[in-house]
Amino acid sequence: MSKSFFVDTTICTACRGCQVACKQWHDLPAEETKNRGTYENPADLSFITYKVVRMREQVIDGKLNWLFFPEQCRHCIEAPCLETAGDPGAIFRDDKTGAIIFTANTKRLNTAAIIEACPYNVPRKAADGTLAKCDMCLDRVENGLLPACVQTCPTGAMTFGDRDEILALAKKRLGEVKKKNPKAMLIDEDTVSVIYLVAYEPKLYCKNAMASNAVFDITRQMALKRMIRPLTNITSRLL
Amino acid sequence: MNVTRREFIQITGASAAGLAVSGLGFDLSPVKAHAQMLKTKYAKETTTICCYCAVGCGAIVHTSKKGDGRVINIEGDPDHVINRGSLCSKGASISQLTENENRLVEPMYRAPYAKEWKKVSWDWSLTQIAERVKKTRDAAFEYKNAKGQVVNRSTNIVSVGSAAMDNEECWIYQALMRAIGLVYIEHQARI
Repeated sequence: MSKSFFVDTTICTACRGCQVACKQWHDLPAEETKNRGTYENPADLSFITYKVVRMREQVIDGKLNWLFFPEQCRHCIEAPCLETAGDPGAIFRDDKTGAIIFTANTKRLNTAAIIEACPYNVPRKAADGTLAKCDMCLDRVENGLLPACVQTCPTGAMTFGDRDEILALAKKRLGEVKKKNPKAMLIDEDTVSVIYLVAYEPKLYCKNAMASNAVFDITRQMALKRMIRPLTNITSRLL
Repeated sequence: MNVTRREFIQITGASAAGLAVSGLGFDLSPVKAHAQMLKTKYAKETTTICCYCAVGCGAIVHTSKKGDGRVINIEGDPDHVINRGSLCSKGASISQLTENENRLVEPMYRAPYAKEWKKVSWDWSLTQIAERVKKTRDAAFEYKNAKGQVVNRSTNIVSVGSAAMDNEECWIYQALMRAIGLVYIEHQARI
């Protein structure tokens, strides 16, 4: 059974425990940042930052709302990055959990194409061309622990578990939230392993909260690659 | 053609899968077969209480069993009744109290009106602190108050305690402050 996250943004307090726990577990250094007039910090995901809590001030129905969105890799079920790469030594899916894992071999890929292929704009490149992103704490999950971000979440906004149970939980919680917020929805729940529940339109939370349909050209390239890949594999075998 | 990108992926995915079952795909299993080892697998586990706020969350400290015994990881203790494994951003960063290149490891001294801090010895600084505390305390020490009641207090030193002290350090600190007669004692966790 593959695994999924459920992120209930309606009870997220943007404490950023997940952000710090992620850095802590992965032994990632701090970012050099400056005050940009927002508590959202660092400014963006990076090669050394796999998780960022987005904070947006939005006026909805004449009322100010402060919307929080802990952004990370969605571990897509049909992952465009993996398909674009076509190189299981660089990007592969862990069959047990469904985690999409980037290895150091991402250096040999066309990294620009991988980054553009991501509907959520998640992968980030190091100076040497290696790509990095959330790894679902695969080491922890394989050893029966929760991902660092989920374990640390003080409000219970993040949960992790078997996909069917998480989907059921997400739908149950959506029902509850909808009573108060009729526009509440789950984001791309059928196509990703990190399911967000939002109370308002996803685009109010952050630019890439929801997969965009505007990357059609890139997807077409990806699709073509995918169709011809078995042929290139044969040729590489023959050679 | 009016096809969403997701449908497009599905269409092309099906065609690729078709080729795969016809024996033209290739086997990915060797790549995926590497199980990952936990960085805390061979570490010693010690439980502690987060030193920051008054909530008192439980945490597990993983230290190296080999050689230096340094901290490898600190995370919320799932068996702790207060936090059940969770930690906020301050608590989650607690390993940096010890594993931090910016941490001061020698006493620093800035003389009155000086602009720079300089490194000083422990001996010198502890003696200086003791001498100055004694002098200030003695200058205003009251044995009895106006009514003639024994009070044994000194009101010209105030302690605003460290937020980074743990429970046991606070106890020792409090005992010291009371012993020298302080009555104004405050700690970050109460604020």
